[in-house]
Amino acid sequence: MNIIPSRSLHRFRLFRAQTRAYAAISSSGPSPSLTTHTLGPFQVFDRETKRHQKDQAAYKNGGDSSRTVDYMRDEVADRIMERLEDIKRKFNTIIDLGSGSGHLTKLLDPNTTQKCIMIDSSRGALHRDPNSEFDVDVERIHADEENLLQVLEPNSQEAIVSCLSLHWVNDLPGILGQIKEALQPDGLFLGAMFGGDTLFELRTALQLAEVDREGGISPRVSPMTDTRDVSNLLGRAGFTLLTVDIDEIKVAYPSMWELMDDLRDMGESNAVIGRRHMIHRDTLAAASAIYKELHGNQDGTIPATFQVIFMIGWKPAPTQPKPLQKGSGKTNLKDVL
Amino acid sequence: MFTTATAQTTKPLKRLAVHATTTCAEQASVYGKCILATYTDVRKDICKAEFDKFGRCLREAVRVQLSILILFPQYSSICLR
Repeated sequence: MNIIPSRSLHRFRLFRAQTRAYAAISSSGPSPSLTTHTLGPFQVFDRETKRHQKDQAAYKNGGDSSRTVDYMRDEVADRIMERLEDIKRKFNTIIDLGSGSGHLTKLLDPNTTQKCIMIDSSRGALHRDPNSEFDVDVERIHADEENLLQVLEPNSQEAIVSCLSLHWVNDLPGILGQIKEALQPDGLFLGAMFGGDTLFELRTALQLAEVDREGGISPRVSPMTDTRDVSNLLGRAGFTLLTVDIDEIKVAYPSMWELMDDLRDMGESNAVIGRRHMIHRDTLAAASAIYKELHGNQDGTIPATFQVIFMIGWKPAPTQPKPLQKGSGKTNLKDVL
Repeated sequence: MFTTATAQTTKPLKRLAVHATTTCAEQASVYGKCILATYTDVRKDICKAEFDKFGRCLREAVRVQLSILILFPQYSSICLR
């Protein structure tokens, strides 16, 4: 049996007391963040960079580059409209949160709503298209999507929709909470965001290339929200009558280079905090070769997977249908089946 | 239209993209297959020999293109497809 000298025991106790004190400090304050200049929720994305990227994309070639790559947002906006049309209700005003150039707003017609308010942090994207392209009255508010309650009154809105914007928000539980706050009772939230396995081909190709060429990896593709977590997040924010479903969109590109060009023109370039700002030409060339061999299609093109999470939630109201009490059923399932 | 297309293809990254997918497609494929064969256990320089050939082809392609451009600028439209 080992006998520990009393002095080392003493030192050990001192050390333990110290770590405890640190633990107490970190648990009482705001959640820790990797960067020193930010407080509050964990910061993953550089919002200022993202705003700049979206502006650049919208201004490039007078907006033509951006219009060329509208295919993704238009497709998802179309799928959101299918879901919105299932809701038999006429709105006075709908909020389009993170509207971009109004891909979803363009599809709205006076039978659904009279007016749509577009909110986006990128002035360039927000004002890219003139009012004449919209069938409903539009108002544009240039504001940060992360601070929704600074532009909207609580309990004021009938419906908030969001098309491919929430995947750049740092505090997803927070923004869902703000959306719920801004809605009237029985108000609708309908959103779509990238998540799950989005761009996994690009992620893996770049990682393999970086490991082989440079011996390490860095964040090139955003971390994505797990599709299974979304209904929990909606529930936690206080929404009821949840519907969450996932669509997978596969797009074929001639090569990785066209995919990266298109992502840039969409304003969807990397904006992860702590990313490396340059990428070596060798690494890019290697990634392009790996992408093609690892994931390439038979016809020589390469696929890019986009997983879109659609979420529908309602702010609770006493008038909404509720599940019956457990055990109150009168019909035996055995008789039916 | 023509001038913008030419202006875009003269960008260095665009040149790299063209050569990596067309001129040096064969070497790229060999390198990609090497990574594919080892992707569960990739380490630094695990496919160095294959990449060196690919990289040499890329540098060669860029150099040839540039020298043709300097000697025969009238062929720039053919060269910078």
